[in-house]
Amino acid sequence: MRQLIAIALLAATSAQAADLSLSGQAVNHNDKVVIDFQVAAGSTVSLWTDSWQSGLNFDPQLFLTRSGAIVNADDDGGSFVNAGAGYFDAGLQFTAAAAGSYRLVLNAASNDALGASLGDGFAYDGDTPIALASWNQPSYDFNADDQKGGFWRLHLSGVEQAAVVPEPAGWALLAAGLLSLSLLSRTRRQR
Amino acid sequence: MGRPTKVQPVRTGNSRRDFFKRSSAGAAALVAAPALLPMGAQAAVNAVFQHGVASGDPLSDRVILWTRVTPAAPKPAITVTYVIATDPALTQVVLRGTTKTNPGRDYTVKVDPVGLKPATTYYYQFTAEGTTSPVGRTKTLPTTGAQSLRMAVVSCSNHAYGYFNAYGRIAARADLDLVMHLGDYIYEYGAGQYGNVRTPEPAHEMVTLADYRMRHAQYKRDADSQAMHRQHPLVAIWDDHEITNDGWKDGAQNHQPGTEGDWNARVAVGLQAYYEWMPVRPANGNLRDNHRGFAYGDLADLLMLEERLSARSQQLTTAIHPTAFGAGFATTDPGYGDPSRTLLGEAQETWLINRLRTTPARWKLLGQGVMFAQLKAPGTDQVKDPGLYFINGDQWDGYEPARNRLYAAIKGDATNAKVDNLVVLTGDIHSSWAADLHPNPYNPSVANGGYDKATGAGSLGVEFVGTSVSSPGVDTDTTGGVAGAIRFYNPHFKYVQLTRRGYMLMDVNRDRVVGEWWYVDTVASPSNVETFATAFEVRQGENRLRPSAQTPSRANPPLLAP
Repeated sequence: MRQLIAIALLAATSAQAADLSLSGQAVNHNDKVVIDFQVAAGSTVSLWTDSWQSGLNFDPQLFLTRSGAIVNADDDGGSFVNAGAGYFDAGLQFTAAAAGSYRLVLNAASNDALGASLGDGFAYDGDTPIALASWNQPSYDFNADDQKGGFWRLHLSGVEQAAVVPEPAGWALLAAGLLSLSLLSRTRRQR
Repeated sequence: MGRPTKVQPVRTGNSRRDFFKRSSAGAAALVAAPALLPMGAQAAVNAVFQHGVASGDPLSDRVILWTRVTPAAPKPAITVTYVIATDPALTQVVLRGTTKTNPGRDYTVKVDPVGLKPATTYYYQFTAEGTTSPVGRTKTLPTTGAQSLRMAVVSCSNHAYGYFNAYGRIAARADLDLVMHLGDYIYEYGAGQYGNVRTPEPAHEMVTLADYRMRHAQYKRDADSQAMHRQHPLVAIWDDHEITNDGWKDGAQNHQPGTEGDWNARVAVGLQAYYEWMPVRPANGNLRDNHRGFAYGDLADLLMLEERLSARSQQLTTAIHPTAFGAGFATTDPGYGDPSRTLLGEAQETWLINRLRTTPARWKLLGQGVMFAQLKAPGTDQVKDPGLYFINGDQWDGYEPARNRLYAAIKGDATNAKVDNLVVLTGDIHSSWAADLHPNPYNPSVANGGYDKATGAGSLGVEFVGTSVSSPGVDTDTTGGVAGAIRFYNPHFKYVQLTRRGYMLMDVNRDRVVGEWWYVDTVASPSNVETFATAFEVRQGENRLRPSAQTPSRANPPLLAP
């Protein structure tokens, strides 16, 4: 099963230090997009969003974690990382001392981390989900009534591979799919 | 008469400092006066919040809080926190919040915190860039049981034409519920084009987004403006000068498409800056239409009108009858009777009439830009061209079929009751007027549907027109001769004063609405001197003016913000 996932990851992205971009659609104000990526030793990694689009979509922020610990976070530094990012886009840049894997959480500002590790949770975790389309994000423009879109896009530069980690519902679907695959192969074997 | 006619200026410990802050020579004075250096240091500390704080559009559970952050260097995003408390020291905190701003909003900050209590005074403060803002004071509207509304009404604050001393006097009144600004909050002109007491920024007529923002920023740096905004919530509408002179839906007298570009583009950038810099709540999903109502319990309904950018038809260009005030026009002139010409547009007109008919409030207070009462002057050549002519086609006189539709609604009909207790509040014309309202006040026969100037019989409502904060009136009328002549030809005016600057103080209770005119002694320099001029009132159910007297201040008002 682990091998199958790895294949899926590779299919979603590409190998060797590369510039990748991932995107998707968030629905609720406390949704979290989880992205795993791997880097080679000495790589300079740049991560930035460009989906805020002057308020067309929600104001994102990033939390970079390693082995469950939050090692870096950013809300509005995207334009310092890449000129394609807008005022409220997020961005992070770092040089990896050693090869390894990282996990990145992308969510809506100001759903801040409650502690130094991912396990501590986030500020909005206990909230009843509010659809982004009807949510007044704390940073929204009162005059424009903006930041109602759920589209997000993350650029990753200097990483080897990256993929969005499916949410629990996604895992269940995958597990169901794999189960049917194994059933299928067993049926075939029985033939 | 036993009435105080003059209020001594309040002397406080920092009045001298305030004076220098307000003086254009302040910087030079600082250099010359080492004793005042601490103020310079303080100014540096407050550089982040150099445009002050403001609040506006109060409702019973929320009020807009506004500020602008000036970072030391440009930044893509700035986090701003705010705190709301019930005491000036901010110890009794009821709400905290966070927001952000960015250069796309010109670093302006506007929040609309929900969950406040009705009829409550609050104090608030912002923090950004490691600095705290001045503490502001604001107040929510009541829901029930309101017995009193006390507010200042201002209009026509022209920075170039003089100092906002009226704002300073309003700031010192701790017992106001709100300040109503009826438009011409800023002026578009370049240096020397309309006033030369202070130099506008930019020095040219504002046309671009950068121009409009810079002009708003200059006005918000004025010390008197900051003081007023810091102490009272504002309920504001725009008139024409927020964009440019004599605007209408598709253009303006002072808009030249050849050199100043597309009208709609100019309106869009002008309004963008307006919404960025003003403590107002967008209404109706259309930024060009900010008409909106404020229920002050069941005591008063504040109906704020939009009369420029959403629907107004072009001003009549048919004035051909010479009068002492320029060319006038008659009801028989071409285009005059065209019922399709409108000031409010159909949707707003329907909204207004419906609200007038259905509001449970005792008083219907219309906050609007241009004079509702008729204003006529005699033709210069009464032999060849006898009669009286309307002299200002930019006010309701130029839209008489539309005005008559409102009069029809006020009078009532077979299915709708008569609308009582209508009080129109107006700005725009830089002078002071009190009027009984009637569709044809020039007909003296009440029996034939006319109006009796001696008794007020036939009057359907009243209008109080406030003078300007600083824009010039007919300042040559020092003897009152012109005002007297206007009253002679226009029987419905009970008060006309053309030379003084200041504000109106409205004191409303269940029995009557009193309008007081307060004048400052000058706008040529900073001054704390103000004078009570006169007062008129309308009593419940009477729909006509009576002379009145100065109302007492409220006892034990909430503390002013520090």
